[in-house]
Amino acid sequence: MSITYLEAIREAQAKLLRDDERVFIYGQDVGGAFGGAFKATKGLAKEFPGRVLNTPISEDAMVGAAIGAAIEGMRPIVEMQFADFSSVALNQILNNAGTHYWRTNVPVPITVRLPSGGTKGSGPFHSQSMESIYAHYPGLIVMTPATVEDAYTMLIEAVAIDDPVVYCEHKYLYYHLKADKLPSQGVPTGTARIAREGRDLTIVSYSAMLHEALAVAEQLAGESFEIEVIDLRSVKPLDTNTVLASVARTGRLLCVGESFPWGGVTAEVIARVAAEGFHLLDAAPQRLNAKDTPIPYHPNLWSAHRPNAKEIARKARALLRE
Amino acid sequence: MPQVPIIMPQLGESIAEATIVDIKVKPGDEVADDQEILDVETNKAVMGVTTPCKGKIAQITVQLKETYPVGAVLGYVEASEADAARFARQAPPQAQREVAEEIPARADQEVAPAREKKVAARDGDGARAGGLPVPVTPKGATFMSPRIRARMAELQLTTADLAGIMGTGAGNRVTIKDLENFLFKIESQTAQDASAIRTGVADAMRRSWTRPLSTIGSSVNLDPVLQDRQSRDPKPGPGLYALRALALALAETPGAAAKLIGNRVVQSTSIDVGIAVEAEDGIMVPVIRSAEKTSLVDLATKYKELIELARQRRISPDMQAGGIATVSNFGTFGMEWGTPIPLPDQTLLLGLGAGKKVPSWNEQKKEFVPRTEAQITLSFDHRSIDGGGAGRLLKRVIELLETPKKL
Amino acid sequence: MLQTAQRQSKAKKPSPPHERFLEAYRWMLLTRTLEEKLVSLYRGGLITGGVYIGKGQEAVSAACGLFLQKGDIFAPLIRDQAGRSAFGEPLLDVTRTYLGSRQGPMRGRDGNIHRGRPQDNQLAMVSHLGAMISVTVGALMAKRFKGEKDFIGLACIGEGGMQTGAFHEGMNIAAVEQVPLVIVATNNHYAYSTPNDREFACHDLVDRAIGYGFEGYSLDGTDLSACLEVIGGAVKRARAGRPPQLVVASVLRLSGHGEHDDASYVTEEIKREPFARDCLKVAEQTIADLNLVDAKTLTEWRKEAAVKVDEAIATAQKEAPPEGDKEDWCAISVRDLVDSPE
Repeated sequence: MSITYLEAIREAQAKLLRDDERVFIYGQDVGGAFGGAFKATKGLAKEFPGRVLNTPISEDAMVGAAIGAAIEGMRPIVEMQFADFSSVALNQILNNAGTHYWRTNVPVPITVRLPSGGTKGSGPFHSQSMESIYAHYPGLIVMTPATVEDAYTMLIEAVAIDDPVVYCEHKYLYYHLKADKLPSQGVPTGTARIAREGRDLTIVSYSAMLHEALAVAEQLAGESFEIEVIDLRSVKPLDTNTVLASVARTGRLLCVGESFPWGGVTAEVIARVAAEGFHLLDAAPQRLNAKDTPIPYHPNLWSAHRPNAKEIARKARALLRE
Repeated sequence: MPQVPIIMPQLGESIAEATIVDIKVKPGDEVADDQEILDVETNKAVMGVTTPCKGKIAQITVQLKETYPVGAVLGYVEASEADAARFARQAPPQAQREVAEEIPARADQEVAPAREKKVAARDGDGARAGGLPVPVTPKGATFMSPRIRARMAELQLTTADLAGIMGTGAGNRVTIKDLENFLFKIESQTAQDASAIRTGVADAMRRSWTRPLSTIGSSVNLDPVLQDRQSRDPKPGPGLYALRALALALAETPGAAAKLIGNRVVQSTSIDVGIAVEAEDGIMVPVIRSAEKTSLVDLATKYKELIELARQRRISPDMQAGGIATVSNFGTFGMEWGTPIPLPDQTLLLGLGAGKKVPSWNEQKKEFVPRTEAQITLSFDHRSIDGGGAGRLLKRVIELLETPKKL
Repeated sequence: MLQTAQRQSKAKKPSPPHERFLEAYRWMLLTRTLEEKLVSLYRGGLITGGVYIGKGQEAVSAACGLFLQKGDIFAPLIRDQAGRSAFGEPLLDVTRTYLGSRQGPMRGRDGNIHRGRPQDNQLAMVSHLGAMISVTVGALMAKRFKGEKDFIGLACIGEGGMQTGAFHEGMNIAAVEQVPLVIVATNNHYAYSTPNDREFACHDLVDRAIGYGFEGYSLDGTDLSACLEVIGGAVKRARAGRPPQLVVASVLRLSGHGEHDDASYVTEEIKREPFARDCLKVAEQTIADLNLVDAKTLTEWRKEAAVKVDEAIATAQKEAPPEGDKEDWCAISVRDLVDSPE
């Protein structure tokens, strides 16, 4: 039996709907037989009538309604059709959900699923990775699962968390990533995972970039470099301790992310390591992000825009030679 | 007929590239399995590159004396289908990843130009004008990463301790791995804790050595001193005569012991001169205050006391501070001359070697006559005093030593 | 000005008051007393940040709060003090929030009209107007999911707030979800300094109701009886399961946008319009005309209101403010997931 990343998300939602009557799914095209633009809810509307609801194209109202429902005790999952469209709901997510507990002491247990990242030909408005924006504002948890197992357990955990969770699922991984089975328990959010142990260089990554980093580590192993690869799993909270411990082992750091270069996850990791682990660094820490332009449409341009294994390898080799 | 690429092999751990030193074949040549077709040189050795399979050389794409990275294509062999297929099976497997983009070997990797620093370089007066000169790259042999610095601080190492490490980082800088390997090797040798005196002397010498030190020397006739001391009680040693001579000479030209600190010339009012005294585990240098006012006899008495104190290890740091010059009589160890290192807070060190009977030309008698001669050297901080000034001082010391009645 | 003249409803002669007329009047009186006091505190430099009062809208607002019962959701906005009080908000909540007491419902973390008690169904607004409509919708959906009965939601908005995208989405989704929502939109003719002719172009905002699938009603907001009739009726219809209700009330804003604003842009002509009447004075006139209470009682009521307000202010003024270094700087409830960037 083989299960894809997308199927894991669907299974998690099925389990949530089954086990918790407070859960409902709210989003565009999620209901009926259609089951979502990416089939993440296929079959669920039928199995759980009245709990998988199609919304109008109203991202602001989708999240606003979720907030209201959460205040009244429900555990809504909002599916954004593409992460890129969540910008319409930015106000509700950042200013309403994100501030509510701090202002009123009443937490808002909503989960907003963002299909993130690019696939060839998706273009500037169907490819974005917005984890950096959401992590920047206080009051939100931001998850970035990179594996089939994490996709499953972290979504279940997201709904259980009393605070708003932005769950960034990567579209490229939907059908490309497969696992043999789903775990019954997962590692709690807030803990990064050492995906590959090493001693010469630490690559910190998350989501789809994890797999690029692992490919690079494999390649460089053939050149006798042992690269340690860390999967952050969640970018907020960010597991600084695991990163520091790794840099303590290797002395060299490369951060790789798919979002735009200014600020963001890679900058945050490096800022923390520079501040708390300066004495651990044997070379200046480096990072690699997408280019500082909107995401291009043409597959050639798209694959040049985002970090890929070739770019990561080049950067890693340069850092290893320092 | 398929063209099979000839690939630069991985010639050893951490080898990144090699230079073509011999091309043994040309297009059209038939080659057999495992035949050597090229020689390449790395920084370790010359090695042969063999053909991937038997066939005919189609082309050699590299040049003699040029350098190519591991994995680069060096040429092509035209081979049969069967032989080409064998090569494909033997070649390292491509990474079977749908997710990853193709990762080429280093051959395809262009050297990305380092991003030009947009910071404008400043001209020399930058620091004074309020701006700092900007280093172009934070690299080079002496670059010490924060990690290196932290580790050195932890182990109380100084750059002098790292002299024995050849760095493998960019520009031959010492990487943390180099340092840790070095420390590991030391652990496997016998090691014991250094005594406080040893580390103290090491630190003082390291600090002293940060200055440009120079030494001049000459010979001194010791017979007058040797004769003079017979009439004194207690008998001062030649070292004490030298101390007295130095003190008087400095009293005449105190500027010779002045210290340059920054761009100020600092002068002490008191002619305090130290004398090296050997203790059990190192040299102590107690200072005789106002040595020009201390008679030889008093010097001898004082010296005896100091020897005793040294033996009891009761010479305190206070007693060793504040001198402007020091005398070291290493002649007592049988050494003839030396280039002693002035103490870090002083600019002069007078060294007296062992006396020995030598023939000396006597101009009046027009013959060699025996005399007891010693080499006397003056080491000095060349920032504070020049060879001329040092020379004049030394000459005066010698004059005084050769007329011991004046001392 | 022609446009607004067309919108004005026909002048009414005093009709018999609604059964809750006096009850509503007393909320209006309390509110006016409170807000006048807040204004003078503000002018005395004792309040930091904005002060937003609902002078001229007390009748509409009191009616909103009055018909809500336990279990209903109330989403007041910035000029709904009367509604909040009628809904049950303690005066201390107001004074503590404005005067910066640590014991206020927002604990100093938000101020003035951004306060609320979500656990008691009074939503705490965000500044982005229109955003609370969909939140109210969601809360109503939740009640429905949970099987609750006989509940409604009432959200307040102004003619300016009605123009945001968020409002549009909220109104649309309310109708799509068929929740028992009443939106009371008060056109007080100025959105900050912007008059109606730069705010919207349709003939009458109530015309939008049909466009969204709502039932729409107009209201002379200066007439307390009318407010009670129309808003009470809307609430009743919502409880009965009718489509969502839109009530558009017409008044003039009788203050600045906030107390920092002198409203010098309000024209003299508009101040002469019928909708510019002070609803409190109109109500008092009605009381006088119909002799509903005697002057002595009125005086007592006024005194009582003043005493209540003064007490609430005095209490709040004595209380300690929050302190930066004693604050729990944590924006999430799950402490295990706190990120530590420094």
